[in-house]
Amino acid sequence: MTERLDGGDLSPAESLALIEQQQGRVERTLGPNIVLLYGTWGAAWFLGFAMLYLAYRGALPLVVGGLVFAGLLLAAIVVTGVHSARATRGVRGVSSEVGAMYGWGWLLGFGCVGAIFAGLGRVGITDEQSALLGPALSLLVVGLLYLGGGALWRDRVQYGLGVWILATDAVSMFAGVPGNYLVLSIAGGGGFLLAAAWFAVRRRVVAP
Amino acid sequence: MTTVPELDPVIHAQARLRVVASLAALSQGDRMAFPRVQQLLDMTAGNLSTHLRKLEDAGYVEVTKTHERRTPVTYLALTRRGRTAFEDYAAALRTLLTTDGSETAR
Repeated sequence: MTERLDGGDLSPAESLALIEQQQGRVERTLGPNIVLLYGTWGAAWFLGFAMLYLAYRGALPLVVGGLVFAGLLLAAIVVTGVHSARATRGVRGVSSEVGAMYGWGWLLGFGCVGAIFAGLGRVGITDEQSALLGPALSLLVVGLLYLGGGALWRDRVQYGLGVWILATDAVSMFAGVPGNYLVLSIAGGGGFLLAAAWFAVRRRVVAP
Repeated sequence: MTTVPELDPVIHAQARLRVVASLAALSQGDRMAFPRVQQLLDMTAGNLSTHLRKLEDAGYVEVTKTHERRTPVTYLALTRRGRTAFEDYAAALRTLLTTDGSETAR
């Protein structure tokens, strides 16, 4: 016996498929494009830290390496900001409050790193010390915020990346200068790029 | 033995089911601007308004009119009752699928 829904022309299976299709569309449109975001940050870290490594090895002027590094990070910040704003455009409520609180966490964290450096500069810090501490403190903030974000949104990949970033950060401290930049480039940037690649493959497999 | 569940007539119409399903995909406590909902449904503003009125009358959807930077914005959200009605509707569909031997899931 096939139950036709009174008054409607959809079978239960068709109605359920319609619900799934519509909700999938909403989630895809409003959710972040993980491949884009992890890919962008992976490329920025991979190339940026590689430039710093090469600059410290004398392959190019330190100013050039620093400027390229800063430019890549700035570009990644802009991509992330624009993408998040566009994806969540027109949505208000609990999730935008959570997102704003989390977003401020980044600003406050890096503000604090800046203040620590300003304070260290006053008491005196060598170039080698600042070359080690700069990325180490920044990645501590990044790693912890990834842990927090992963826990907040119950995103195991994000949490796992947080663990990976902290582990990379810890290992880089023992590679010395400029070896730490090579570790951050390959393991740090590479970690993001691997995560992006994994999501890109999975998306292709899942998509019809 | 086999009981056919009653299907809620308010969200039984295909267009309204899509509206309710879309709003149910938001996190609880979130609301979405009218043009964004319209874009996600590929509906005309008039068509969406008509269906929203029926959903609002049933107490399923809450329509909030506000201003942002002096521009009027209309936000749509599922009420607690609307979310329950949608979940019951989806559950009823699944029951129909399992109790009706001639149907198979997707």
